[in-house]
Amino acid sequence: MIEASSLSKRYGAFRALDKVSFEVHRGEVVGFLGPNGAGKSTTMRILTCFISATGGTARVHGHDVFDEPLEVRKKIGYLPQRASLYGEMSVWEYLSFVADMRGLDRSVFKKRMRDIVEVCGINQVLGKDIRTLSHGYRQRVGLGQALVHNPPILILDEPTSDLDPNEKAEVIRYIKEIGKERTILLSTHNLSEVEAACPRAIIVSKGRVVADGPLDEIRTKSGRVRYVVTIDEKRTFDRDGTYRKGASKTAPTAQEVQDALAQLSGVSHFKELPTDDRAHSFEFAGSPGSDVRHEIFQLCVQKGWYLLELRREARSLEDVFKSLTKGDERLDRGRRVEIEPDDEVAASEDEDEEADEDADEGDADEGDENESDEGDEGDADEGDADEEASEKDEKPSGKKA
Amino acid sequence: MRTVWNIAKREFTSNFLSPLAYVVICLSLVLLGIFFFMVWGGGFWQADRATMAQMFQWMPRGLAFVVVPVVTMRLLAEEKRSGTLEMLITLPVKDHEVILGKFLGAWGLVLVLIAATALFPIFMFWWPWNLGALDWRTVGSGYLGLVLFSAAAVSIGLLLSALTESQVIAFFLTWATLLVFTFWGLAADTFSNQVMRDVAAYVSFDARLAPFARGMINTRDLVFFVSICFGCLMTSFWALERRKWA
Repeated sequence: MIEASSLSKRYGAFRALDKVSFEVHRGEVVGFLGPNGAGKSTTMRILTCFISATGGTARVHGHDVFDEPLEVRKKIGYLPQRASLYGEMSVWEYLSFVADMRGLDRSVFKKRMRDIVEVCGINQVLGKDIRTLSHGYRQRVGLGQALVHNPPILILDEPTSDLDPNEKAEVIRYIKEIGKERTILLSTHNLSEVEAACPRAIIVSKGRVVADGPLDEIRTKSGRVRYVVTIDEKRTFDRDGTYRKGASKTAPTAQEVQDALAQLSGVSHFKELPTDDRAHSFEFAGSPGSDVRHEIFQLCVQKGWYLLELRREARSLEDVFKSLTKGDERLDRGRRVEIEPDDEVAASEDEDEEADEDADEGDADEGDENESDEGDEGDADEGDADEEASEKDEKPSGKKA
Repeated sequence: MRTVWNIAKREFTSNFLSPLAYVVICLSLVLLGIFFFMVWGGGFWQADRATMAQMFQWMPRGLAFVVVPVVTMRLLAEEKRSGTLEMLITLPVKDHEVILGKFLGAWGLVLVLIAATALFPIFMFWWPWNLGALDWRTVGSGYLGLVLFSAAAVSIGLLLSALTESQVIAFFLTWATLLVFTFWGLAADTFSNQVMRDVAAYVSFDARLAPFARGMINTRDLVFFVSICFGCLMTSFWALERRKWA
């Protein structure tokens, strides 16, 4: 339904998009993630034919966005970042105007309105002027105009920005509801919304796609996996008369357990967890995409250890997002954040290692979390490309503006 | 044409959803009355002739310095600033249809105002008063000149509104541009160079409108206003399109 192939966009010297490629298939609800200035809105504006790409191609519902913009626009419902509506019109007048622009018959429009009013919850405000509505209701009206022609594809650019938590939850509920029958590309930097509404995510950073796939896959492939293993320190199979060949006849020490676990392939970063005096518990990291649970189980059987707990945890989507987009957070709402010397080293390493992000995830860990939080919360307009350009251009210097 | 009509209709009616249209029309009629009856050479009564020439002298200035800048300043500038332009353009509509719809919507409001001024000759020379035998053909050609002039002025305002995101800047740019074009002819005599004098006289709105007020309809004057209108609309289209490649 949506195919972007090597999309590039330059604003002067600033490269907003750098060969972005992805596909969204029929019926998918895909989260389009990235920090401010990563290229989300630029991509969406290209897909909706509002701006043109500098390079690459894109097709929406089989139509080329450059050659057949009208056909593309007929097939999509688009909610821009700030759902700007004509405030002097009433909700009904505005939706009626959009329906007229889309060439809907009055009877079809009225029929569609029954669904829209129900799904978007705008029954109470149909006769009110849009300028008198709260942000939440305006957003609902924006969603309504995107749905008025019953499009097969919805492109929603940060539909929950500026909303309070209750309104955000409502809008996400609407998106899940309408996403049952449509292809939706949902841009946001609220990760919980993506986890709630999207089975799949595309993460962009610095104008490039850095992750694309089902959420679980992104969590595991994009970061190290954490294991927690707890072994009984008092008993073994042997003591219980269930001796097996090769098993230890004495209770294991913490060092023995750690040494044995350390022999497994791809594990590192061992940390002993506090427990009572009946167990040894270790937390350690596994390599991305690997799974050593079978080996751990085999090891315990072989050693005659009682395995009290074995847990494998992928990193949270938030951690993955932070590590994949580290460096972008320094574009902190238009001002430079002072970079510590250590971070400068990390930043320069990032530049070199972007092509192989996955392999470096373990080293990224939590180092930039605090800065990243600042970057994630912002809602600066990506349309301010010139500002972004100057910020990006200055970035390698690592100095304050 | 359907989309052009929809945009023009929305643009036109939106003026009446706020006090803007009412204020502009009422204020313009009051000012026109003051100038028509009191200011010009002691006012209409001192002329002692059945003529509306005074009205056709003052109206273009009122349109140029008050009405058109106010009506056109927000056409695209405000849409760009508020973000509604993105909503509009991502509907199935071509850029030139947006420009044409905006132009027709704004021009429509100005035409309503021009039509309202017809109350002056009607009340004075037809019903309820009959102050003399008015040459209605001259009045007709005067109104034709106003219609053409208003189209050119609105297209200039639309173009300047397309070049900025600030209504205030759009207002003053339009005001200043129309001021220059209106009074350019007065400065013609100050040029020593004959070519400059001819050019100044040729592009002066005042000079181009004068024949219409006298009942003369020249093809050159028609072409002049239509050319300005067409050129400004084309440039506005280009100004709107450049967002794609910015």
